Amino acid sequence: MKQVMRRSAADNIYLHKDFHGAMSTALIYLQQKHGDDAVREYLRQFARTFYAPLTADISRRGLVALKEHFEQVYQLEGGQVQITLSGDEMTLRVEACPAVMHLRSKGQPVAPLFYETTKTVNEAICEGTPFVAELVSYDDATGRSTVRFTRRRA
Amino acid sequence: MISCTEFIAAYSELFKYLEKRGGQEAVYDFWNYLADNFLGNLKDLVVQNGIRGCWLYWSHTLNEEAADFTMTLDEEAGEFSIVMHHCPSKGRLLEWKHITPYPDYCKHCDVLYRRILEPLGYEYIYDLSHTDEARCSLLVRRR
Repeated sequence: MKQVMRRSAADNIYLHKDFHGAMSTALIYLQQKHGDDAVREYLRQFARTFYAPLTADISRRGLVALKEHFEQVYQLEGGQVQITLSGDEMTLRVEACPAVMHLRSKGQPVAPLFYETTKTVNEAICEGTPFVAELVSYDDATGRSTVRFTRRRA
Repeated sequence: MISCTEFIAAYSELFKYLEKRGGQEAVYDFWNYLADNFLGNLKDLVVQNGIRGCWLYWSHTLNEEAADFTMTLDEEAGEFSIVMHHCPSKGRLLEWKHITPYPDYCKHCDVLYRRILEPLGYEYIYDLSHTDEARCSLLVRRR
C-alpha cells in the first residue's frame, strides 16, 4: 500500500533547529581542515555579506535596529534574553543559547569555536557602523553570554 | 548565534568560501564529511526500518523546513520519492537579492544522501534540472 504525504509551505512554521547541528559540524570541519583563522574568516565573510542590510540599518537608525533584530531572532528560536538599550550603549544578555541547548539536547557535538558565531558575527555586523561589539562573557556549556555594543572610539 | 532560519545563507556562503580556498574538491570534501558526521540519523533509520527510514527521516526534516512537497512511500515496490514543488532552502536563496547563491548549491542534496543510501543497497536518483525554480525530485529504490 502506498503512503502519500502532501504539504504546502503554509502547513508548517519554518524552524528547523537541526540546522544548528549542521552549522556546528561545519565549524568543526573548517577548524580541523583549515584552522582557527579559517573559521573566523568564513564567519566574518558570511556576516558581512548576509547581514549587510542590517549593518546599513544600524548606520541609519543606530542600535535600535540591532535590538529589533535580536528580539526577532530570539523570539523565533525561543531564547530568553535581556536587552538593555540606553543612548549609545546596548547590552545583550542571553540566558542560554537556543542553538547550543538544541545541540546538547540531541547529544550533538558543539564546535570548540561555536562562540565565534556570536563574537565574530556581531563584530562583523558592526563593521562600518559607528558601533563596536564586544563579547564580555561566554559559557561553552550553555552558550550563556553577554555582548556589549558601544560607540566606536574615534 | 546564527538563527537556524538564516542557516541556508551561511551554508551557501560556506560552499563559496571553501571553493575559493580549494576549488570544487574542497566543497565535495566538506559534503562527504557532513554526510559521514551529521547524517547518522538517516543511516540509522534506514538500517532499522528499511526504505521506511527515508519516510521517517524526511517527514521530520521537510515539515520543520515548511517545504512544499509530495512524499510517497511504496514499501512493497521498495520505492520512496519526494517531489519538491518549492524548496524552502533554494527558495530563500533566490529571494534574498543581496546575496548570490553558490552556483551548485543544490548539488549537496545529491552528494550527501547518495553517500548514505547507496552503500545500504539503494539506488538514489535525483533530478536537479529545475533547481533554478527551487524545484527538484528524488527517487530512492531498493536494488
